[in-house]
Amino acid sequence: MAEKEKSAQIKQRNLSKIIRPIFGALVAAYVLWRLYTVFIVEAKYGPQVWVSLLVSGLIIGAVYSLIAIGYTLVYGILLMINFAHGELMMVGTYAGYFVFEAAQAIKMPNATDPELVFANAYPVLTIFLAFIVGMGVAAAVGYFLEKIAYRPLRGAPRLIPLISAIGASYVLQNISLLLFSPQLRNYDNPEALSRGDGWKLIVNDLPVNIPYTGVFTLVLSVILMLILLYIVKNTRLGKSMRAVAMDKDTAALMGINVNQTISNTFIISGLLAGAAGVMWGLHNAQVYNTVGFIPGIKAFTAAVFGGIGNIGGAMIGGMVIGMIESIGPTALGISYQLKDVIAFAILISVLIFKPSGILGEVLAEEKV
Amino acid sequence: MKNQQTRDILKKGLVFAIIIIFIMAIGFHEIAAALISRIFSVDVKRGSIPEVRFMMYFMGLFAFLTGWANSDKREGAFLKKSTHGLLVSVVAGIFVVLFDLILVFLVNNEIDIREYLTAFSLDSMNFFLFNKGQLGLLYHFAYFVIFGFSGSTLNVLLSSESAQNLKEKTGKLYNATKEKINSAMPPFLKKYGKYFFLLLLAAAAIILPRTWGSYVNFVVGLVGLYVIAGVGLNIIVGLSGQLVLGYAAFFAMGAYSVALLNAAEPHNIMLGFWPSVLIAILMAIVAGLLLGLPLMGLRGDYLAIVTLGFGEIIRILLKSDLLTGFTGGPRGIHDIQGPTLFGQPFNSDVEYVYIIFACIALTIFIYNRLQNSRTGRAWLSIKEDAIAAQATGVNLQKYKLLALCIGAAFAGLVGGISAARNQFTGPNDHSLLVSMNVLSLVIVGGVNSIPGIILGAFTLKGLPEILREVENYRQLAFGILLIVMMIIRPNGLWPSSRPLYEKYNCPEDGEKNVGKERKND
Amino acid sequence: MKKKVLFSLVVLFALVLASCAPAAAPAEEAAPAEEEAMEEEVMEEEAGVDPRCEGEWGCAVVPAGETIKIGMSSPMTGGYADFGIDAENSGLIAVEDFGDVEGFEFELVAEDDEGGAEGGAAVANKLTSDPTFVGMAGPLFSGATSAGIPIYEEAGIAMLSPSATAAALTEMGSSVFNRVPFTDPIQGAGAADYMFNELGFTTIAVLHDGEDYGKGLATIVKDEFEALGGTVTTFEGITAGEADYSPILTTIAADAPEALYFGGYSAEGAVLANQMKATGLEDALFFGCDGTWGADFLENAGDNAEGSIHANTRKPPASDALAAFDAAYEAAYGVAPVVLSPFSYNSYDCATRLMEVVAEVAFVGDDGSLYVPLADVVAGVRGTTDWTGISGTYTCNEIGECNSEGPAFETVVDGEWVVLE
Repeated sequence: MAEKEKSAQIKQRNLSKIIRPIFGALVAAYVLWRLYTVFIVEAKYGPQVWVSLLVSGLIIGAVYSLIAIGYTLVYGILLMINFAHGELMMVGTYAGYFVFEAAQAIKMPNATDPELVFANAYPVLTIFLAFIVGMGVAAAVGYFLEKIAYRPLRGAPRLIPLISAIGASYVLQNISLLLFSPQLRNYDNPEALSRGDGWKLIVNDLPVNIPYTGVFTLVLSVILMLILLYIVKNTRLGKSMRAVAMDKDTAALMGINVNQTISNTFIISGLLAGAAGVMWGLHNAQVYNTVGFIPGIKAFTAAVFGGIGNIGGAMIGGMVIGMIESIGPTALGISYQLKDVIAFAILISVLIFKPSGILGEVLAEEKV
Repeated sequence: MKNQQTRDILKKGLVFAIIIIFIMAIGFHEIAAALISRIFSVDVKRGSIPEVRFMMYFMGLFAFLTGWANSDKREGAFLKKSTHGLLVSVVAGIFVVLFDLILVFLVNNEIDIREYLTAFSLDSMNFFLFNKGQLGLLYHFAYFVIFGFSGSTLNVLLSSESAQNLKEKTGKLYNATKEKINSAMPPFLKKYGKYFFLLLLAAAAIILPRTWGSYVNFVVGLVGLYVIAGVGLNIIVGLSGQLVLGYAAFFAMGAYSVALLNAAEPHNIMLGFWPSVLIAILMAIVAGLLLGLPLMGLRGDYLAIVTLGFGEIIRILLKSDLLTGFTGGPRGIHDIQGPTLFGQPFNSDVEYVYIIFACIALTIFIYNRLQNSRTGRAWLSIKEDAIAAQATGVNLQKYKLLALCIGAAFAGLVGGISAARNQFTGPNDHSLLVSMNVLSLVIVGGVNSIPGIILGAFTLKGLPEILREVENYRQLAFGILLIVMMIIRPNGLWPSSRPLYEKYNCPEDGEKNVGKERKND
Repeated sequence: MKKKVLFSLVVLFALVLASCAPAAAPAEEAAPAEEEAMEEEVMEEEAGVDPRCEGEWGCAVVPAGETIKIGMSSPMTGGYADFGIDAENSGLIAVEDFGDVEGFEFELVAEDDEGGAEGGAAVANKLTSDPTFVGMAGPLFSGATSAGIPIYEEAGIAMLSPSATAAALTEMGSSVFNRVPFTDPIQGAGAADYMFNELGFTTIAVLHDGEDYGKGLATIVKDEFEALGGTVTTFEGITAGEADYSPILTTIAADAPEALYFGGYSAEGAVLANQMKATGLEDALFFGCDGTWGADFLENAGDNAEGSIHANTRKPPASDALAAFDAAYEAAYGVAPVVLSPFSYNSYDCATRLMEVVAEVAFVGDDGSLYVPLADVVAGVRGTTDWTGISGTYTCNEIGECNSEGPAFETVVDGEWVVLE
């Protein structure tokens, strides 16, 4: 009996050895054919379209990167997917929304402009405050999330914290639904950073709009990511994070407070998600209770794509996913409705062909 | 020591205050009062506010629970133990009063913040303050003191030694009585009691649907379908330990198979219900194979996200312009023909319930046989320790795939029956929410436990119909349940005798270990 | 064994509990309409069956002391909750205004169908099992309607919808379904005509949100516009609920259409309007539908809403009844009518008309209960001729279309809606 099983297993392995390359070849052939069709045969879109799409892709990629880093940090240290991470972003978006609403409501009439409000009088301060509040609230929620829903489950088999995370995601989504009503809200940007306006880049005699909010998002994301890299590489906090991720027990023996470190990880991932949320609000305007869900899934795709646990991988993964989402449907000539399908297809492909991601995994050897 | 205790009391008081403030902020206090009002047979019309005395009952109950949950059960003087709970209640009361000050300020100045926080309507805020305005603060504080003290004292009393003795005695008495009844029963009844009981159940299953009205049939049918789905998902998640989050994709395969083969609109192939259901099951199995073959080697959490993606892909594809010619697009498929039996239409609500009951019986039968078979044991070994299982010659891939396909088959069945019963199916019927609902009911009800799944299905689909006041809070409640269940009772409300996770308590700095770590996947 | 006993008892208990639920109709009398009709006949044969209660659907029976139920089915939770809340508001005012029938009061039962088919079927099943239920002033959304029609048809409940506009609904051959708004084909043809003839556009792009209503409308506009001789440069679907449509707008801009027609709801419409400027479509006109019309669009699109055109129901002629309704609505709910949704007046009229027909055909039986012959209600609603409500005058034709007028087109000037002639 055992021999039959063994030969069946061998057959299975051989089968999957054959299936994978065939599958890969089919996908590659399809993609190449579509690209050829769109670019060479139809050649419908001028370069200004592609540049414009590229810009959109970079911007959305930056947001995905920030969220992906949060996923990757938590996974690297706890080997669990924080399903509720997208909701941290949503919390940040709402918090920022309220700051802007307040700033737009405080009237400060002066000689030249009787309608002046705080947001337009001190735009930099307002935006700064919005980010601080957004990031702070998201970090706080992340901290309590870990404390209430994940800490009691340390050491449990993987399935259990994952289900708890799903529950937490539900809870956060519904609390904000119940508190703030299903009404769709829009960010009221200060005039200095109003949506839609931007620099005009001339490509091929045609203008391409580079939105101010988009550039702001991109620049701020890069800054935050650089700060994070610095923290992880050079500060004590970062060292403890890496140590706990590598080997929890030894780290404890070395005097590192494991619980504190894990809490700090959640706080940092919350800070980043909150910032992503406020940026989302500034650039995309929309605030509603499930705003974090789909970006969360896509960010997780990005994290896996780049190699889970690997911060650089998450950054690159986010950018790549964002650009593929933006350029993909047009480049492949398929319907725009299918762009989420592209993202998931990438996820599945990566997991089939290179489960450790593009830049390789950085995982704890033993689950914390 | 003193400092630590003070901080502890302050913290706990703050926590409970935040809970009740939260309840008010999401508008749940009105709903809770309405529920209490229902218990007292005073119905509340939808949209109107219940009587104030029920709000008082609710507040009193909450204060009581605050005291109860915080009494100090360690060794010590009786009074000292119950004052711990009292102190926490007092602190909570103070924080609540502070919040009330805000409410009073808003009410008196007629400030309307409903644009930002929807629950803060004038009526709602007044209701929270017992319609007594500023006096409400005094009431709240008094309630917390009085009821908190009562709750705390009662808890201490019940856990005292004399109470424990009483409990033991009652337990012994209960067991003794059970023994007596057991031995007094004639052996005939003992042997055939089971069959007699099953006969009774079957009779009820046939007679009851004819008597309790089409609405109840509708709900019972819905619950029944979710039971079958739950068992199917349980085979995947519970028996073989793979978390699948895109279960709705298999529903879609089943539903669309039956729909496309039985409706005039897209293709007009009137194949008939029964053959279509078989095809539906087949299609679901094929989908399971397609999903499973490439992805069997994945880690648990990856599998979860990928199956979620798969579910979404199916839904997007069904809705897309690309496939509209084939699937009917966002409009879905209408006017699906129902089943016929010997030429006569068999599609009234009663008849559907019979079909569903029959399927449930079949499902339970298959499930039991599977669980106790070689396959079931293989799954158990994979779940417990995959590497060891492989070492003993269990073909991981084959068994995992088998679990996925069997689970998918059940989903296909449910999808098909569901489409015919609703006479309609569409892409939005098979969304992520449906997958999550089925997962929740399996987890909350009890993994690997048929009674648990039935309980879970009833709680998910049946209760909201009965407790219609809570429909807005249903998802929130389920989310909270998921978290709480995982922490205190990961094997579900009605655990099976072979639990999913061995639970033991090894208090380390007060932390509970919920389960041993397993090097799975 | 013990566990099995226990669990079966629990199941039985639960089922019994479910059957005793106060939310459901009086359990003892709840029975499908056909069986009820037979029971009625059997019961009354002893007392002499009233010929009006014979027939497939029989009569609804309202015992003394109970209320006659008029139903509504609309999304009351989720992103489209405003529609349902508004419908319920209007319906409640209608019930209050109408008064009673032979001493029996009406009661409005507004149920949440989440705007979709599954919800629509669930609500239909729930309401039709209540023997005091006589008419449905709805459903509001086309998806819920199409799933509900077979169920209401079987139970013989007359339907009069204020807003379900999909073309297919009246092509299903139903004798119970009627509606008062203009249909999607009429709106689509009107929009295409307006763009081609009035505005003189020859190239447009058409987007839809991938849902039943939006896609249906967009398809009609595309077909009509092309039939008139125009060119549709792009026909694409977006995914509802997203925040960034600039990629697809950029690709559309490459063809420089003169207008962008969008079939869908105001949330997505506002996002599109906001992003048109930045993606090269500044000169294109945003042409929406009655789903994009509303305060939501104005608020979310802000300045970018200027100049856009949307469809809306024609403004009803001023009347005392209209003024009275406006006042009552505002007093009761703190917000003016036709703000939460454009169908406030329609909902009021549908409820009122249903109640009128019921009042005409109902009679009190010997046992003091009110009998409402359902077939007569159905016929009465379908036979509505030159009936004037606060939203307009209606005559229902043989398939249930009660409104032959088309929509009015409105544009946004200085943040206000202005009707275009």
